[in-house]
Amino acid sequence: MTIPWEQLHGAMTHFPIALLLFSAACDFGSVVLKKLAFAGELRKASFYGLAISAVASIGAVVSGIALTKGNMWGRGDLGWHHRFIWPGFGLLVALAVWRLIVRDQMSRTGFYVYLFLMFLTSGLVAAAGYFGGELLIGGG
Amino acid sequence: MLTALEIKAAKAAVLTSALALTVTFIAGEIYWQHAGRLEKAEQPAGPAAVVAQGRLFFVKSCAHCHGKDADGGEDAPSLRKMTISAAHMTLVIQSGIKGDMPSFAKKYSEADVAKIVAYLQTLK
Repeated sequence: MTIPWEQLHGAMTHFPIALLLFSAACDFGSVVLKKLAFAGELRKASFYGLAISAVASIGAVVSGIALTKGNMWGRGDLGWHHRFIWPGFGLLVALAVWRLIVRDQMSRTGFYVYLFLMFLTSGLVAAAGYFGGELLIGGG
Repeated sequence: MLTALEIKAAKAAVLTSALALTVTFIAGEIYWQHAGRLEKAEQPAGPAAVVAQGRLFFVKSCAHCHGKDADGGEDAPSLRKMTISAAHMTLVIQSGIKGDMPSFAKKYSEADVAKIVAYLQTLK
């Protein structure tokens, strides 16, 4: 039986991407709306969003490696997809581990550095998603 | 300033991230080598191998529009019994058709495009 890696990879990537963007949005919301009672709840939602996103990204990476038969770089859009996804994946894992250890004991500086890196990771992963989509739709 | 816990957590985060990327790249390399060996074992030698490789590229990048047997899809024509030359096919694959078909020049090298053309020519 042949495993449809192309469909499987597509199905497995959207969930962690969406959760990562959701987590970054919740963190940003908790800063903007810090005077409101549910700002703390937004932080909690962002924590779980990031943790699940990091775990789910393992499936996305495994299916991606299977799809490309282990081609970790490649040319054209595949090359761009990989140039964005590897630093994005590394940052996602790092941020999830950092947040898991620090939990609610973040200093102000720590939180802003974390938030900056969350936006950077979101940008990298979104760009990787764009080039991944181009591979399917654009053919390049 | 960052607290001692945050610095400790940052060190753990960097280590875990480096470990995750290392494992990923080692796994990728092992798969790459394994897939290469399988392809070599499966491919016949000579021109048939070129056509087989071209067919693989076709299925990967062209079949979703032109059909898996190149007999056409909803938005793309059949590529069977084409009368255009190999050079013309190469040009179309590399340049694309504005508004209708993307360029594959970035995705496939000239040698790879030649393999696709070799496959398409077997369909005449």
